[in-house]
Amino acid sequence: MDLKEKLRILSDAAKYDVSCSSSGSRRKSVQGQLGSTENAGICHSFTPDGRCISLLKILMTNYCIYDCAYCINKRSNHVERAAFTVNEIVELTINFYRRNYIEGLFLSSAIIQNPNHTMEMLTQVVKKLRNEYHFGGYIHLKAIPGASEELIHEAGLYADRMSVNIELPSDASLKLLAPDKKKEEIFKPMKDIKQNQLMHLEERKKFKKAPVFVPGGQSTQLIIGATPDSDLNILSLSEKLYQKYSLKRVYYSAYTPVNKGKNLPDLISPPTLREHRLYQGDWLLRYYGFKANELLDEKHPHFDTYLDPKTSWALNNLHLFPIEVNKAPYHMLLRVPGIGVRGAQKIVSSRRLAPLQFDDLKKLGIVLKRAQYFITCNTKYYGIVDIDESKIRRILTPQTMLLEENNPYEQLSLFSLNFLPSSNLSLNQPLNKSTILLEDTPTALTGEL
Amino acid sequence: MLDYLYDGSFSGYLTTLFYAYPLKEEVRIYKELTYSPSLLTTSKYITTEEDKSERVYQSILTKLSYSTLDNLYNIYLSDEVESETLGLKYIKLCYHYGDDINLAKNNDIIRTVDLTCKRVWKEVHRFYGFVRFKEIGPLTFYAAIEPNHNILPLMMGHFKKRFSDQNFIIHDQKRHCAMIYNQQEIYISYLSIEDSHQLAKAEIRDNFEELFKTYYKATTIAERKNPRLQNSWMPKRYYKHLVELD
Repeated sequence: MDLKEKLRILSDAAKYDVSCSSSGSRRKSVQGQLGSTENAGICHSFTPDGRCISLLKILMTNYCIYDCAYCINKRSNHVERAAFTVNEIVELTINFYRRNYIEGLFLSSAIIQNPNHTMEMLTQVVKKLRNEYHFGGYIHLKAIPGASEELIHEAGLYADRMSVNIELPSDASLKLLAPDKKKEEIFKPMKDIKQNQLMHLEERKKFKKAPVFVPGGQSTQLIIGATPDSDLNILSLSEKLYQKYSLKRVYYSAYTPVNKGKNLPDLISPPTLREHRLYQGDWLLRYYGFKANELLDEKHPHFDTYLDPKTSWALNNLHLFPIEVNKAPYHMLLRVPGIGVRGAQKIVSSRRLAPLQFDDLKKLGIVLKRAQYFITCNTKYYGIVDIDESKIRRILTPQTMLLEENNPYEQLSLFSLNFLPSSNLSLNQPLNKSTILLEDTPTALTGEL
Repeated sequence: MLDYLYDGSFSGYLTTLFYAYPLKEEVRIYKELTYSPSLLTTSKYITTEEDKSERVYQSILTKLSYSTLDNLYNIYLSDEVESETLGLKYIKLCYHYGDDINLAKNNDIIRTVDLTCKRVWKEVHRFYGFVRFKEIGPLTFYAAIEPNHNILPLMMGHFKKRFSDQNFIIHDQKRHCAMIYNQQEIYISYLSIEDSHQLAKAEIRDNFEELFKTYYKATTIAERKNPRLQNSWMPKRYYKHLVELD
């Protein structure tokens, strides 16, 4: 099998891993050696699905000893199998990097023989890149659950970021779909990485030349929609991960049906809208100072389909609003729907010189469509309806959704023939557009038709 | 109305600012090369004077701030319409109210300045990724780009740091200039398209180009196709020099 074939098979097998970031690491580049890292991360290309190519994302091999129901590379699947040699991966990485195609390497692998052996193989590649080729680019390495602590520690000395994929958000779903994996085994490497990071940070305070350990932090991935877990469960799990293991990112991946199985749901298309809402919630946790239990609770365990998480939160807590843009503290501005981090910063910056007028807000990039109902400007309220939950909710819900709800009530016109008893055919033409849109919505939410 | 023309260099621009600043009359500033005269205005060519330009430079640095100077430089590099005139208005505003006026993000001039700088740096950041090198000799690489703004000067640091052990040329085909690095020093010089054809003529069949195309195809998830999203991240005007798309 030639290199091209292998690359095709093993990058195809790796594409369901969402993580593509090359950010967060400040590895010092050395004059005369190849490679550097950029703190913000760099995207080198974008595939037709709109995702970026930042790292060369490949599996070392897709021969696997496990049989996880959701995975395309499971043992019982009949897919093309291949395996790279260490030299092939190194050659690909260096040459792609020299042509500025990629930002570095994202190396993962199916489990061959046992977790320790697999981890050792992965470490060999990164060691060769760093020690022989003095490669200074970004390396994202998978920590294999079940591998020994020493192996993970060694790998961490060479990688910029490490990740362990949790995939399934609860113990029950793990038992159902990935019976070979254990929850403890997944969290063990995360804990190890976190402890090692702390240790090395301490050392670096004392010795300037102490080695860095996973400077880009660690991340993980959860599959959305393969199991009946609620958004509340998922978001609370993410919150715990951010707090307990100081993860940099939790990625959410709408479940794409690649296998058929009795424990798997029958989906038509991936539940991308739900994935989108979870990402919005995730951002609120990390950048806007929200808590998971503020956004969702036992009564409402799922995000609203029609409204984004921040707007639904604001509508459920309308007693806190409206707030005065010229007085409110920064953390409160961040909680207003339609005001983002940049917008809040600009408000705080501008009002130091002079009070803001309502017209100014648009110039600062505030989305007044949503923000107008939650703010006052110089004590005047500018919303086009009163501050009333049902009224605001109605006006912010996308129009197509409203049409569907209002189906029985219809504006009669002299020229429409609806009032004639004989014409109960579908003459209400204007509704057609909305129904087409609506057919999509539930699919995007649950994946089912 | 008065149109001031300069030679296209940053010192030339600063000299023009020196002469335009005290005038009561409304002045617009253009590069001499791209200027098209009109009947309603009179134009005047300003010769670059190093001492005047140095005075303006030092004055902005000491009386205003480094970040204001930086903004002015970004405005100068941008190819937005009337960006040079915007720079003059910006400097006048800053001297009138003091450097703190930069905080007023609701001021129209400050807003346009911020937006212009953002556009320039956004393109710089995009091209950190979109430059595609082609091997034209052992450890020697050539890349052609056609950016909207004159971003080569802002990209030098990044590429020098990253590829310090190889020779490379990044050629801005729109502005006929190229960033050249020979493993020791990096500089920008004039390079016409014809010359670049000569360079790229050494048609080495680059195996890795093929491999990258394979990778690009294989890593796409067909079920999630979203060309609108792709275009918003990677606008079509950049496609010409991206090897993986064709």
